[in-house]
Amino acid sequence: MSYHITEDCIGCTACSRLCPVFAISGERGKLHTINEKRCVECGVCGRICTKNAVENTAGDRLPKLPRKEWPKPVIQQDGCSACQMCVAACTPGALSLSLPRFRGDLKVFAQLSAPAKCVGCGICAQTCPLRVITMEAPAAEPTKEGAAA
Amino acid sequence: MTLPLYAKIDLTTGQCEEYPIPEAYFRRYIGGKALAARLLLDLTPAGLDPFDPRSVVIVNTGPLNGTGAPSSSRFNLSSKNVLTGGIASSNCGGLFGVMLRHAGYEGLIITGKAEKPCRIDVTDGEITIVDAAELWGLDTEKAQEELPKHVGKLVIGPSGEHLVRYAGLASGERMAGRCGVGAVFGSKNLKAVTAYGTRKIPVEHPEKFYKFVKKWVRFLKGHAMTGDALPHYGSAGLVNKANAAHALPTLNFQQGVYDKADEVSGETLAETKLTRNGGCVSCPIRCERRVMVDGREVKGPEYETLGFFGPNIGAHDLDAVIRLNYVCDILGLDTISAASTLAFAMELKQRGIKDFGVTFGDVSNLEEVLGKIAVREGEYSELANGSKWLSQKYGGADYAMHAKGLEMASYEPRRSVGMGLGYATSNRGGCHLNGGYMALLESVGVLSIRPQDSRAKAEWTVFMQNALEAISTGGCCLFSGQTFVPQILFMLGPNHWITRLLGKLAVFTGPVVRLLLAFRPLLRFNTLFLLPHAEALRLATGFPIYTGSFLDLGDRCYTVERIYNLREGLTEKDDALPKRLTHEQQVPGRKDTVVRMDRLLPQYYKTRGWDPHSKPKRRTLKRLGMEELWQP
Repeated sequence: MSYHITEDCIGCTACSRLCPVFAISGERGKLHTINEKRCVECGVCGRICTKNAVENTAGDRLPKLPRKEWPKPVIQQDGCSACQMCVAACTPGALSLSLPRFRGDLKVFAQLSAPAKCVGCGICAQTCPLRVITMEAPAAEPTKEGAAA
Repeated sequence: MTLPLYAKIDLTTGQCEEYPIPEAYFRRYIGGKALAARLLLDLTPAGLDPFDPRSVVIVNTGPLNGTGAPSSSRFNLSSKNVLTGGIASSNCGGLFGVMLRHAGYEGLIITGKAEKPCRIDVTDGEITIVDAAELWGLDTEKAQEELPKHVGKLVIGPSGEHLVRYAGLASGERMAGRCGVGAVFGSKNLKAVTAYGTRKIPVEHPEKFYKFVKKWVRFLKGHAMTGDALPHYGSAGLVNKANAAHALPTLNFQQGVYDKADEVSGETLAETKLTRNGGCVSCPIRCERRVMVDGREVKGPEYETLGFFGPNIGAHDLDAVIRLNYVCDILGLDTISAASTLAFAMELKQRGIKDFGVTFGDVSNLEEVLGKIAVREGEYSELANGSKWLSQKYGGADYAMHAKGLEMASYEPRRSVGMGLGYATSNRGGCHLNGGYMALLESVGVLSIRPQDSRAKAEWTVFMQNALEAISTGGCCLFSGQTFVPQILFMLGPNHWITRLLGKLAVFTGPVVRLLLAFRPLLRFNTLFLLPHAEALRLATGFPIYTGSFLDLGDRCYTVERIYNLREGLTEKDDALPKRLTHEQQVPGRKDTVVRMDRLLPQYYKTRGWDPHSKPKRRTLKRLGMEELWQP
C-alpha cells in the first residue's frame, strides 16, 4: 500500500525534497510520483502540499498543515537506552544522541537536537524498540483526523 | 514465519536472481555464519581457490538483525578463508546488515568476477551492478563519503584491492576484519555493496517480542559487565586484567606480562583520551571508545589492538596505538593479523633471520609500513601474506603465532589453556570468539577457572563455542552474552573466597557440562540470565527455540563449518598451536605454563562427538539433524 499523488500536482518539488524515505520523484513543473515499494505512509508529502494533491490509501486527500503544527517526537529520557535505532533511521538528521555531561557519564539518550529539520514522519517512533518515543502535535487538534471530521 | 530471501549475484554475467532459503535450512541453521557455511557447501566445489572467479562470498544477516533486539546489528560475511584454506567468517556491527534487510534481502550470495571495478546496489529489492571506477583506490573512509549518506554501506579499502590476505571490510566505522574476506571482494573487483529500502522486518510475535526486548535491555543495563565494565572501559578494560593474570602476549608471545601495560590500558584510555562512548546501532551496551585523531573524533582501539600494537611489539605508546588503529581501519586491514604479522617480522629481525625494517619497541615507522603492506609495495608484499606464509618462507613456524593460518588474538594461551584449545579447534583459525572465548572464564573475567589446569576445559570450550556460535547466528553481538556470568560474582569480586572457591571447584565440572550437553533436549526453557537470545529468536521466528535447542544450533554451526574444513583438506593436524605455546614454558621451570594439547584435544573431540580425526561421527550428525552431510 502506498500514498498517491493525483493530477492536481503542479510539480513544486516540495514533497520530494521533504520525503524522509526518498520515495517521491518527478521533474520540476511535472506530475510527481510516489514509489509504492518505498512509501511508508508517513503523510509528510500531504502536509506540505499546497494543492492537497496527495491521497492516502483510503482515497482521502491529505490537508496541508502549517509547519508549526506538525507532530514532533517526544522521547522519554529515562527509558531510552541510547541504542541509536531512531538516530540511524532519521534521514533528515533531526535526532542525535546527547553528549555526556562529564567524563565517564553513561546516561546519554536520543534527543531532538535539530527540530527545524524534523518533518514529523514518525519513523523514529516506529523504529524505537523500547517504544519510548511518541509523536505529539503541538496543536490540540492533530493532523488528518481534523480534516476528516 | 517468513522465510529468509537471499539474492544470488553473478558478477561475471551480471545476472541477479532471488534465492529463497528452504524452510529446512532456516529451521536448522537460522542465519548468519551457520546458514552461510551450509550454503557454501552447496554452492562451491571442493578445493576451489578463494580468489577463483567461481568462489562464493556470502553476506548475510540473522533473524534478529534490525528488529531492535539489543546489540542485533551484527551481520556476517562468509567465504573460503584466504589465510587458512578452510572456512572464513567475519562479523561486523555496521548499519549495512540492518539496511540490507530493509532493502529486501536477508543475504547476498556473490560469485563471479567483474571485468572492471564495480559496486552492488540493493534498493527496494532490486539489485544493480554499478561501475565503481571512481571509488577504486580510495580508503574505506573516503569511499564511504563518496556514496549516498543515507544508505547502508560495505566497502573494502586499498588492502582488499591489493589482495592483502588479511584485508577486511568497513561499514561506517565498524570493521569486519578477520579472515581476509576483503581480499575475496577485491579479487572479484567488487569495491562496495550498498543497500537501502523501507521493507518492514518481520517478527513473528511482535507484542511479546518487544516486551521481552524491554526486559532484556533493562537486564543488560543492570548487569555489572554489560552495564558497567564494558561501557566504562570497553574491551580495552581487559589489558590490565590480562596483564595481572600474565595472559597479555608480550614481544610476540615470548612473555605474558608487560611492566608498562598500564600505559595502554582501558583505564588510561578512559582517563586521558576518551571523548565519549559510541556504539553499534541497536546496542544499549555501547562499549565503543571515541577518541581524537588529527582533530577529528574517530573510533578508538579495542583490547586486541591495544595489546598487539602495544606490549606484543614491545611498545606502550597510546597515541601511536590510536593512530595505527585508525590507519588500519581506513586501509581496511585487520588489526589483529596485521599487528601479529608485524610482531612475527620483528622476531625474525631479533633472531637475525630477516629484516623488514621493523623492530620491537619501535612504533615510529609502522604507519608507513602498514601503508606499504596495504598496497603490497616491494618486499612489504611478503608481510601482506600473513605470518604463516612468512614462516614457511623464512622459517620460525614455532613462533609464528597463528592457528591454521589465522593469527591468534591477544590472550596468552599458556595462562588460559582453554583459550589455547579454543584457538586450535576454532574452525576459522586462531580466533578468540570463534574459539569459545574461554579467557573470560580463565584469566580476564571475574571468575577464574584455574587457568593452567586442563581439567574440564574441553567441556567448557565446547559449551562456550556452541553458545557463542548460536548468538552469532541470530545476528547479535557476543558481548550481549556476557551476562551469563552471575551478577553476584561481580558483587563479591574476583578475590572473594566464594569466587575463588568456585574457580577451583569448576575444574571438576567436566562431567556436569557433559551431562548438560547430553540432555540438551530437556532444557526446554528460556531465561533472561542464560542465553536470552534463545527467547528473542523464538519470538522473532516462531520456532520452538529453547536453551537446549539453541545450544544445538551452535553445535550444528560448529559441525557444518568443520565439515567444510574437512572437505577443503584440513585435518586434525591443523587443530594445533605453535610449539612456543605447547612446548616452551612461559615461566622457565614451571611445567604447568604450557598448553597440554595432548590432553585437551582428545577430550574435546570426545565431547563434540567427533572421531580422533576431527570428523563428526554419524550419530552426532544424526542427533543434530544433518545426516545428509555424512560421508563415510
